[in-house]
Amino acid sequence: MIWKGLGLITNTESPIVVVLSGSMEPAFYRGDLLFLTNPSNQRYQTGDITVYKVPGADIPIVHRVLETHDLVSDKRGVVAAAPLAQQQLLLTKGDNNHIDDIELYQGLEWLERKHIVGKVRGFLPYVGYVTIAMNDFPQLKYALLGGLGLLALIQRE
Amino acid sequence: MHSIYSRINNVSAMLSTCLMVLLGAISLSSFLFTSTPPPGTLAVTNVKVFPGNARRYANKYQDFAFVNFNLTADLKPLFNWNTKQLFIYVSAEYENRQGTKNEVVIFDRIVQNKEDAYIDIAGRNKYVFRDVSASFEDSTPAHYSLKYNVMPYVGILTYGEAARTVDPVPFPESQDLS
Repeated sequence: MIWKGLGLITNTESPIVVVLSGSMEPAFYRGDLLFLTNPSNQRYQTGDITVYKVPGADIPIVHRVLETHDLVSDKRGVVAAAPLAQQQLLLTKGDNNHIDDIELYQGLEWLERKHIVGKVRGFLPYVGYVTIAMNDFPQLKYALLGGLGLLALIQRE
Repeated sequence: MHSIYSRINNVSAMLSTCLMVLLGAISLSSFLFTSTPPPGTLAVTNVKVFPGNARRYANKYQDFAFVNFNLTADLKPLFNWNTKQLFIYVSAEYENRQGTKNEVVIFDRIVQNKEDAYIDIAGRNKYVFRDVSASFEDSTPAHYSLKYNVMPYVGILTYGEAARTVDPVPFPESQDLS
């Protein structure tokens, strides 16, 4: 409920994400928690850190915008001044990578607005590391579950 | 009631609440301590445009721009106790023949401590500078600017601009090397 409400306010499908790779080091390390928004009336600018998901890739990627190209819309009936009337093409790059992300786009030339989950606004270090630890060391997950089960059994009341 | 579990539970709940309040206070404090840096200078000394092969299609030609610039800026005021690093970048803004508004980052740098925050660079573009339409012909002159992103240890990311070219710089005609 809170999750959905937060998603509604911030206009993104997942308002909080955990960093899964080291491609934005030294800004973000694995396990850091990021807070996203995706304001529908704002265009993306260079330097913004976006989270995007291209079709065919299963994990969302956190990278910084390197290029923006606001195309002129030739559709009839759209208000030219409205930021979303124009199509925006984006190119991104990870701070820790040497080259831009074209190879990650699964054949696409540019990233478009519809691929973007949100823009990073806030940052909380380390907190998400629990989820990564559970994925990396499955034994930990079972140990935790077993421990909880054992506690439930031996605890009185 | 006074079992060891409830004691552990209470203590850990208390500690995590305190931690959260403390983190919130730290992230708010960076709004108090940050001041805007004095405007720096950015001058583009030389722009050249050459045709070359496109990255994906070897038989397609595309214009590439090469930009030399001088940059000085004092970004020390942006460092406070909650500043983890600065991400600074030089971006070019221009409109091409088809009216597409473009913003392209040509140079960036990560500044991790206050001693390095005085920026004095004579540089050239670090990233490939090309247009979506494959040509810079009839593009408007480009404004170049130095922007920064302050990244905190905890809290909100902030952005700003520290320098800008005085006059827009036009793109020269593409010159063939052969």
